[in-house]
Amino acid sequence: MPTDVLDRIAVAGEGRQLRLFSPAMTDLKNAEAHDSDHTDSVPYIADDEASRVASDETPEQRDARFERDALPLLDALYGAALRLTRNPSDAEDLVQETFAKAYSSFHQFRPGTNLKAWLYRIQTNNFINTYRKQQREPLLSSTDDVEDWQMAKAESHTSSGLKSAEAEALENLPDEDIRTAMLAIPEDFRTAVYLADLEGFSYKEIADIMETPVGTVMSRLHRGRRQLRDLLEDYARERGFVAARSGSPVDVPTSEEAL
Amino acid sequence: MSCGKPHAHDCSEVLRRVYTFIDGEATSADCAWIQEHLDECGPCLQEYGIDRKVKELVSRACGCDPVPQDVRDRMLGRITTMRTTTVIQGDASYSASGVEVTRVEFEQE
Repeated sequence: MPTDVLDRIAVAGEGRQLRLFSPAMTDLKNAEAHDSDHTDSVPYIADDEASRVASDETPEQRDARFERDALPLLDALYGAALRLTRNPSDAEDLVQETFAKAYSSFHQFRPGTNLKAWLYRIQTNNFINTYRKQQREPLLSSTDDVEDWQMAKAESHTSSGLKSAEAEALENLPDEDIRTAMLAIPEDFRTAVYLADLEGFSYKEIADIMETPVGTVMSRLHRGRRQLRDLLEDYARERGFVAARSGSPVDVPTSEEAL
Repeated sequence: MSCGKPHAHDCSEVLRRVYTFIDGEATSADCAWIQEHLDECGPCLQEYGIDRKVKELVSRACGCDPVPQDVRDRMLGRITTMRTTTVIQGDASYSASGVEVTRVEFEQE
């Protein structure tokens, strides 16, 4: 926290209950509406109910709601920011920007809807618009045609009795292998898998966060998980946890297998 | 492709929908026949087990990076600054000493 702000706050707050926002400030809060005019990546809820809630709610109540509902999600958003940016400095910038935008646009959030998904969407948009461009990372996204995974190849299984042993072998992989494998799959797939498996979002929520159709989310999850599973099975074989596939040499993985 | 045993639904249909089943996104009607198929088809059950394991591994290995305290402090400071700035800009009669804003203390729930 900036020293000048801290000092002022410390002096003003002496002997008083510690709070983020004071009643004396709240009558001026309508000015914050201007802040949201340029927050282009904040999902806007053009909804009568949202407008009604926003107008009925006093700024003080809104601040209290932000403090109570949004701030406890900071850990989750920071973890997600780390996974998106892959370094602590950018993660801090990203999560700060996310909460700053969320705060200035909180009057647009409709109480009772999914606040966590709303914050993730702000953060994901923010990342795409800013940090990914800065990183100049090659976009690894593949085509997202639903038909590609639904139609092109019929799913099949083998009748190998080793499969249950394979699940056990995967269980024994060190966490580092799973993280390495996650970083090896295309970014859009990885994000979808994180949102589903780590954050527990529904397909619909992921679609809202990533601003894609639900079918695309299903495609990304399906393909991302297939790639992830193939990689983990490779790691398990390399570590000697599971027998090699018949006809597939263990020590000479092909480039296709590596991907 | 099938495991060779007679099933009401082909194994490929089950494997195509196994992620929606694992994610709790399958319809109740689909859940019923997928569950029935898994109960009677060992190979599909094993595939399902591996896919569910992979989902668990992601959750196990990639979760939980709590925010360092200094990062938390800077983030809260920025919001407080936004609040203060808005007040200053919003009312010419404002003076710092007259504002009752106090030290920010947030606790993780």
